[in-house]
Amino acid sequence: MSAGQQDGNFKLNLNGQEVAWSGEPAASLADVIRDQQGLTGTKIGCRTGECGACTVLLEGRPVVSCLIPAASVQGQQVETIEGLARQEEFQSLMTAMQENGGVQCGFCTPGVMVTTWAWLQNPALFNGDLGSALKNNLCRCTGYLGIIRSAEQVLAGRGAGV
Amino acid sequence: MSELRTKSPADLSAKLAGETRYLHDMNFPGQLVGAIYRSPYAHARILSINVEQAKQVEGVVAVLTADDLPSYKYGPTKFKDWNLLAKDRVLFIGDEIVAIAAETKEAAQRALELVEVEFEPLPGLFDPEDSLKPGAPLLHEDVEANKPMQVSVSRGDLEEGKRKAAIVKGGRYYSNRIYQGHLEPVGAIASWSDEEGITIWAPSHIPYRARETYAAGFGLPEDKVRIIVPPIGGSFGSKYVLKVHVIAAALAMATRRHVKIILDRYEDMITAHPRVPLTFDIEIGADEEGHFVYKELTVYADAGARVYWSPNVVSTVCTRADNIYHFGSVKSEGYLCYTNNSPTTCMRGFGNAEMLFAVESVIDEIALDLNMDPAELRLKNIVHQGDTTLHGYRLDTCKLDECIEKVKELSGWHRRSSLPPYRGLGLAVANHVSGFRAIDPRFDGSTAVIRLKQDGEIEVETGEVELGQGMSLTYARIASMILGIPEAAILVKSGDTGRYPFGIGTLASRSTVMGGNAVQKAARSLAVKLKELARETLGEAADFREGAAVLEGQTYSLSEMASWYRARHAGEELEIKETYVPDTDLPDATYFGHPSPNYPFAAHVAEVEVDPDTGRTKVIGYWAVHDSGTIIHETMAKGQVLGAIAQGIGWVTMEDLLVKEGKVMNPSMMDYRMPGAKDMPEAEVFFIEGEDPNGPLGAKSIGEVALDPVPGAIANAIAHATGKRGYALPLSAEKVWKSLQNA
Repeated sequence: MSAGQQDGNFKLNLNGQEVAWSGEPAASLADVIRDQQGLTGTKIGCRTGECGACTVLLEGRPVVSCLIPAASVQGQQVETIEGLARQEEFQSLMTAMQENGGVQCGFCTPGVMVTTWAWLQNPALFNGDLGSALKNNLCRCTGYLGIIRSAEQVLAGRGAGV
Repeated sequence: MSELRTKSPADLSAKLAGETRYLHDMNFPGQLVGAIYRSPYAHARILSINVEQAKQVEGVVAVLTADDLPSYKYGPTKFKDWNLLAKDRVLFIGDEIVAIAAETKEAAQRALELVEVEFEPLPGLFDPEDSLKPGAPLLHEDVEANKPMQVSVSRGDLEEGKRKAAIVKGGRYYSNRIYQGHLEPVGAIASWSDEEGITIWAPSHIPYRARETYAAGFGLPEDKVRIIVPPIGGSFGSKYVLKVHVIAAALAMATRRHVKIILDRYEDMITAHPRVPLTFDIEIGADEEGHFVYKELTVYADAGARVYWSPNVVSTVCTRADNIYHFGSVKSEGYLCYTNNSPTTCMRGFGNAEMLFAVESVIDEIALDLNMDPAELRLKNIVHQGDTTLHGYRLDTCKLDECIEKVKELSGWHRRSSLPPYRGLGLAVANHVSGFRAIDPRFDGSTAVIRLKQDGEIEVETGEVELGQGMSLTYARIASMILGIPEAAILVKSGDTGRYPFGIGTLASRSTVMGGNAVQKAARSLAVKLKELARETLGEAADFREGAAVLEGQTYSLSEMASWYRARHAGEELEIKETYVPDTDLPDATYFGHPSPNYPFAAHVAEVEVDPDTGRTKVIGYWAVHDSGTIIHETMAKGQVLGAIAQGIGWVTMEDLLVKEGKVMNPSMMDYRMPGAKDMPEAEVFFIEGEDPNGPLGAKSIGEVALDPVPGAIANAIAHATGKRGYALPLSAEKVWKSLQNA
């Protein structure tokens, strides 16, 4: 593809900033984000794309970063939990998650937050249904209802101009 | 930042922002990668081990076999059947033979491929009943008949009970091998220094028992082993004591560098220590009016190849449910059996939830035969406040009757007789403990340290461990209510055997009551000390109220008070250490005794819809009513119940760690299906509150009793929907479909 691939140096647009990384082009995006960029909010639970703990946004859509070769997303916008956490509405989602019991051990939580955030930005992406949006995010602690209620609360609050 | 933010390591807002650093996120300079060569055979003699080639791989720093390590018999319970690495024989697929430390994952992987082990396969035992048969090969030479433990419990006159019985129901039930499904895979980082000994960073929720166990494994004094617990990314029983921890330690000792081992999901699942699978032969008899007259039980438990916590599970199976009903007379025989399966251990519910699946199923069968409402039959037989149960539990509080009435109301139980075809409502009840005396017969209480910091914040240290269940928030709330200061000014710290007070560990639903009582006691003592300090400093008319010293309308903040104390005490901080020692009895040789400060109860109703064409069950409604005393932190308590409902739905309708001749057939999250958001119905959780005299602020436990009734409730709902009783968990689509075909 690019000249970068041959010498093992790549560029990534991560949380709105261009960052460079070097290594195997097929290294997983999750590993590059965690090991090279030090952004450990993206968790690795299974490495088979099943648990969703490593979910990040790629051009605004939630994807499991453990299955994506890092070199393949050059030129695209990648956002991790660390990037989203800076946004104002993210704070209301955090508060709602605490109030509604959407978080316990916290290991799946960054992935859940990324997906929920994506749903809040564009529910139509998931036919409006948060349950469908969360189909790739396993949570063993909360029983999901707290997560769903939190997202709905943020959506309702937004409608009310809060 | 949110006002809810605390400064505790387990702070929820840090988790939500992705800031919490779990074991996976920790790294040390020069750290090595650890890897384990595991047995491909379920049972085999090791003829030779050759690691010469593996040692030559560039980047490999250490390759260890049993010959390089001490060989003490050790283990976390009184059954000492662990080794550090296998020497002569392997006992299950995944048994650890060679440990490797390398500079990179790739080097460790290459070395693993070059390890040469010659095996002589031996006949394996895969069924617990077969293991007990005469002539079966002995898996541990010093344990007779592959039976490390047998429980015999007998109460009342069983023969008399049998004579009185007008109706008898029962049969053979099976509970399945399920995977705890912690999202964070198992792992450890270890280091060694001559002065300090072994340090292990391990997400264990019983770090002190881990310290004791691992010290014995290496022949070291306990103060030469330190366990530091990072935030735990889910456990449900899987992260107590693990061979991975000791293997990382052995590698660190050999290399004198930090060694990190994180199991990948496959390795985690083949060596997972799943819930102990049980085979129950159960019979319950009732008289014509529906009063129970006896319960008889024989149970076979699969310990797997080595003992983790299965013995305690078997004792729970044989006793706990007898403290929820007046059975009249009971007899239980429990057999713990070694097999060549991966070792099994506890999972949330710890024997009780499994047993209640069988008991609650049988009770519904009796109700059906008596043509009686299952809720009515339960109300006729349950224990009440003030009772001493069959095995000696003293019930200072019990609102189980109210739980049943309330769950009937919430669920619309009267709809039961008029539901459409293939829809069903099922009810089940449960009890549990809040800590259990026999977990550690030497001591079962808890200690808390509470300290006034220079900035006026309060630090609480505990030996219990936060698992995400909300322990830190609960403790902060207890201290906050007693001291009259905001929760946000309280920092709860735990999980380091080198720094914090001794604790038994967070198991047997201990944390709220045992640890909470210690925190309550320490906070009360601190309040007294603060009042004294105010008087010493300001004069006899001073007081301490609402988090401040007060004199004649003038208030002095906690940070001022901290300065006063320092000025008077050589710069020291005001610190109190209190130990809560519960008024419990170690159950005697017949398993009689009052083992817990208090006992929570619950009644649940599940509503299901079964698709007759596929057999697939969908849980479409769920109501959970709990008596957990005073609810200290309602959001976290509800979270425990909702999480348990999801876990129970998985357990009953889809989850099964399939093992064929010792080999796990579905070791991935794709093939081991756990519930997702779409599997969870709308669920209503209701607490019947009331102060228990033995709990902090009146609280009882919640974590496990939340799961205990779920399998029974769903199983009963499926039986109601289909007219067919399921005897073996999971009640998967396939099994339900088959039962529908056998009309």
